[in-house]
Amino acid sequence: MMVRLADGDRSVFTQVFELLGPRIHRLCRALLQNQADAADAAQEAMQKILERAPLDYDRARPALPWALAIAGWECRTLARKRARRREVGPLEDATTNLPVPREGGEEAALVQRDLLRAAVEALGELSETDRETLLATFWDEAATSVSGATFRKRRERALERLRGAFRRLYGLD
Amino acid sequence: MDSTEVLTLRRARTRYEVARLRAATLGVLPLTLVVAAALCFTARPSSTLGFGLAAAAVGVVLLWYGRAPQRAVLPGTVAGLVPLALSLCANQIHHCGSDGCSSFCAPACTLGGVLAGLLVASIGRRRRADVWFWLPASGMALLTGSMGCTCVGYSGVLGLAFGFAVGLVPGVLGRPSAEKSV
Repeated sequence: MMVRLADGDRSVFTQVFELLGPRIHRLCRALLQNQADAADAAQEAMQKILERAPLDYDRARPALPWALAIAGWECRTLARKRARRREVGPLEDATTNLPVPREGGEEAALVQRDLLRAAVEALGELSETDRETLLATFWDEAATSVSGATFRKRRERALERLRGAFRRLYGLD
Repeated sequence: MDSTEVLTLRRARTRYEVARLRAATLGVLPLTLVVAAALCFTARPSSTLGFGLAAAAVGVVLLWYGRAPQRAVLPGTVAGLVPLALSLCANQIHHCGSDGCSSFCAPACTLGGVLAGLLVASIGRRRRADVWFWLPASGMALLTGSMGCTCVGYSGVLGLAFGFAVGLVPGVLGRPSAEKSV
């Protein structure tokens, strides 16, 4: 059926989709161990498989291993992306456990979470010293190695650079 | 199928069609080189360009569509190169006598048409092809050949078409019963 699809026979498109879909989804679930990630990866993989069928599919070989290889690669890519995001630091995890604000409820919490996530992303653009300074400010800790005036100056500069990074990433302050 | 799957299916279908179109566009790139080469030697660049663009456009559509018409593009184009080459060569040779100059363009187109027709017919017979091969292959051969056969106006193109029919018809009539491939 994949040969016919690669050859331009559109009548088998839905059949190929329905036949491959559950298998791809099962593979993604097994590889990623997460329902939401597996759904994302399976969707992207299905689109890539059908997109690449006319050009990349070798008609002399069975279709399923080829399709599963693409899906496996898609899962690995997604897993790597997730791992990189986790490397950003504990602040990222903290954003998911924020207390729900009294006013606005769940929606306000979502907005706050998004803002914090954006701030973490912008923090990733700064130098180690700037990050430490801002985190110390966030947790209300004074740096022990530097005097108050130096710390204030550092904080001012770090905040300026954070604003710059935020503006560069999101186009606003 | 739930709504997410329907959406994924729709997106996949769009990406599939775009990928086919991209591949088809890349597939006719060699033909654009042929058009460029023909433009260097032709006496009527505008007609050559017109037929060249038409051949490229038809080639893209056939390659995008796929199936038997897709498989007809290469044989048709290669067959069309015969009258194109013959007519472009003939265009360079002028025979001038006491009664004026004459060109070998029209006979070259007719001869090229016969050869192209025979070539398409032999490939079609070997493949046991049906009308979905014969028509696109003939179209591509005629459009490609016409790029050069405009050397003496549209009579050259008519000569090509006549010669092509002479070469093709015996092959089409004598073909074994074709299997439906579309």
